Amino acid sequence: MDEQNIRKMVEQMVEQMINGGGNQVKTITNQTPAGQATAAATPVSSECLPDITKIDLKSWFLVDHPKNKEEYLHMKSKTPARLGVGRAGARYKTMTMLRVRADHAAAQDAVFSDVSEDFIKKNNFVFVKTLCKDKDEYLTRPDLGRRFGKEEQEIIKKTCGQNPKVLIIVGDGLSSSAVEANVEDMIPAIKQGLSMYQINVPPSIFIKHARVGAMDDIGQITDADVICMLVGERPGLVTAESMSAYICYKPKHGIPESKRTVISNIHRGGTTPVEAGAHAAELIKRMLDKKASGIDLNKV
Amino acid sequence: MREELLSVGIDIGTSTTQLVFSKLMIENIASNFSVPKVVIVDKEIIYRSEIYFTPLRSPTEIDGTKVKEIIEGEYKKAGIEKTGINTGAVIITGETARKENAKEVLETLSGFAGDFVVATAGPDLESIIAGKGAGAHVYSKEGRTGVVNIDIGGGTSNLALFDHGEVKDTGCLDVGGRLVKIDKNSGEITYLSEKMKELIERKNLPLRVGTIATKENLQPILDAMVYALMQSVGIRPMDDEFSLFITHKEGEEVTKFTCDETIKNSCPITSITFSGGVADYIYGEDRAADEFEYGDIGILLGQAIKTSPLCKELKVLKSVETIRATVVGAGTQTMEVSGSTITYTKDAFPIKNLPILKLSKEEEESAKSMEQAISTKLNWFKLEGNLQKVAIAFEGSKTPSFVQVSEYAKGLLAGMKELMEQEFPFIILVENDMAKVLGQSMYRMLEYKKDVVCLDSIHVEDGDYVDIGKPVAEGTVLPVVVKTLVFNK
Repeated sequence: MDEQNIRKMVEQMVEQMINGGGNQVKTITNQTPAGQATAAATPVSSECLPDITKIDLKSWFLVDHPKNKEEYLHMKSKTPARLGVGRAGARYKTMTMLRVRADHAAAQDAVFSDVSEDFIKKNNFVFVKTLCKDKDEYLTRPDLGRRFGKEEQEIIKKTCGQNPKVLIIVGDGLSSSAVEANVEDMIPAIKQGLSMYQINVPPSIFIKHARVGAMDDIGQITDADVICMLVGERPGLVTAESMSAYICYKPKHGIPESKRTVISNIHRGGTTPVEAGAHAAELIKRMLDKKASGIDLNKV
Repeated sequence: MREELLSVGIDIGTSTTQLVFSKLMIENIASNFSVPKVVIVDKEIIYRSEIYFTPLRSPTEIDGTKVKEIIEGEYKKAGIEKTGINTGAVIITGETARKENAKEVLETLSGFAGDFVVATAGPDLESIIAGKGAGAHVYSKEGRTGVVNIDIGGGTSNLALFDHGEVKDTGCLDVGGRLVKIDKNSGEITYLSEKMKELIERKNLPLRVGTIATKENLQPILDAMVYALMQSVGIRPMDDEFSLFITHKEGEEVTKFTCDETIKNSCPITSITFSGGVADYIYGEDRAADEFEYGDIGILLGQAIKTSPLCKELKVLKSVETIRATVVGAGTQTMEVSGSTITYTKDAFPIKNLPILKLSKEEEESAKSMEQAISTKLNWFKLEGNLQKVAIAFEGSKTPSFVQVSEYAKGLLAGMKELMEQEFPFIILVENDMAKVLGQSMYRMLEYKKDVVCLDSIHVEDGDYVDIGKPVAEGTVLPVVVKTLVFNK
């Protein structure tokens, strides 16, 4: 089987798992090379394999004959680290190995996939992209991920107006999955919180191939008072869906990182997006009042 | 940003009245890169009062004036002003809670002791507070095991079962040192509680008021008490005799005691701690010179427990506090802090004695079911047709979407319409972390015209009451005391 064939097969299997039905099973077996005729002869079950990434790591316990399973689980409940995975000889068990690879694959997907166009449309985001041509350039040239071309600058100007009080913008960053998992719950919470102070925000911009520094360019272009940028965090093996909110008073080119306030770890297992949004709204209000952000905010 | 809160604990028990002052340290332990998380990081007792006999005006009445004098004197001795007190609790325990003027005395005292000093009573809470004051919950948490604390005071023995640090059950028995009182000089029995009289009758013992007490003629009483304690922790089988010792709780048809079953079914215990005045004679090495030094059977009871199977079949752990366990518990274990992302639109605290209306998991299913459940249950909180202030509590989803939070807000507001007409504040206690967004949602739906208090990370049940104190830690959190207000009759 060449690489393309394998890829096709995996794609179909995944599609089948998602649809949950057995309709596609036949097509897969049909495409199995003739040399593996046994596979076709085996009775085909319509059941899906369970999705191993759905298993909760904190309660997944693979040690054989534990002395005190309950206590081990108690320790495990405090961390998603892969403790208590048991072993086969000197190595992991197959399940552990598969899970690590599945999580790693999810992390890579989060980086290399794009936030879908449907998602951007559904949320009425205005689409712009940085100077990066593609993902490879995005990963190798952080500087380009912080700046916009002439055309994009015009779109930003038109969308945000001049000297807006607050902008909420979204960047894919290193995890498109994080953006798709969290912004729909977080943005309404921020907007609701801001409306308490009679602050309205212009439509949100979505930035493809975005680094956090992209907010500085937008600040430069619009002279916004506060920009709140939601951006996907570099995914790890625990979650690929963690997002951060970087909030900055008057971001401009060359602003020191210490002037950004960040709320990190926004995901299902961390700070929930709704609560993070409500908190962000109050932070933004404080920044407007104190005309400061980052560590300066703690001084005043 | 460490902040110190000064806390007072006052215990008015069957035999003794005491007070402690302690410092509670609170701090934001979250990193700069996340939402704040303010917790109590340390507790330190800075002053312990003398131990006074609880002044009584008559066998059925507490001498409120004398109690107040004692407290006033101790504030002065400690050099602490009432205005400096941030929090604390006055607890009235054991038989004292059954005195006619218990409620009145308690309320006067809590107001006198400080602005946010709560008044509590009720044997369940008493058990828990004493158990925590004795340190049983810490042993149980650190040893990852089941531990029972028995707080043996003058009138009652309060049991608290802890498993892995969590309270599993409580119980109360009429076993105590001052159920039989003896004249120190003459050795005559001067008082027998009703339960003791019944016990004496059942066992046909030659003991009456006026009888000269000796260790020997009291022995059957002591044996019966110790045996009941053994039954209560499940190391001896239950029998009909046991029911005599169960403390009757107000509002209950039949007197219930469930600790032994809980131990058998879900909370196996390995260790035992003792607190209360009698505990000193369980742990104590020396024999008191005079067994009737305190004019009661406390010393003998302690010695009887010490040599009983209670201390042989269970591992005895040294409690942190003995006679002061309840007062220390009241001073250091009653206050919690709310979650650190919460909503309050106006600082109108403290709010005291708020009853809880708790929704079940099914009831919080949809906005409609929340509305219905709240408006129905609000009727329970009507006194002669008038609605009182009430706080609505529910658990909520761990990871709610914005749409779901809006649903919660809608359901809550619709259900609380009647409260709105009464101009009562909207007070919500949600268990999972969402109080800031939920409070903001409600506030928006009220068009920012009505005030909202929405707190999270506080666990309450139907029948509880809460007190909410003034904001601390730069306004990020509110101190909360969850309590019961059950007076024994």
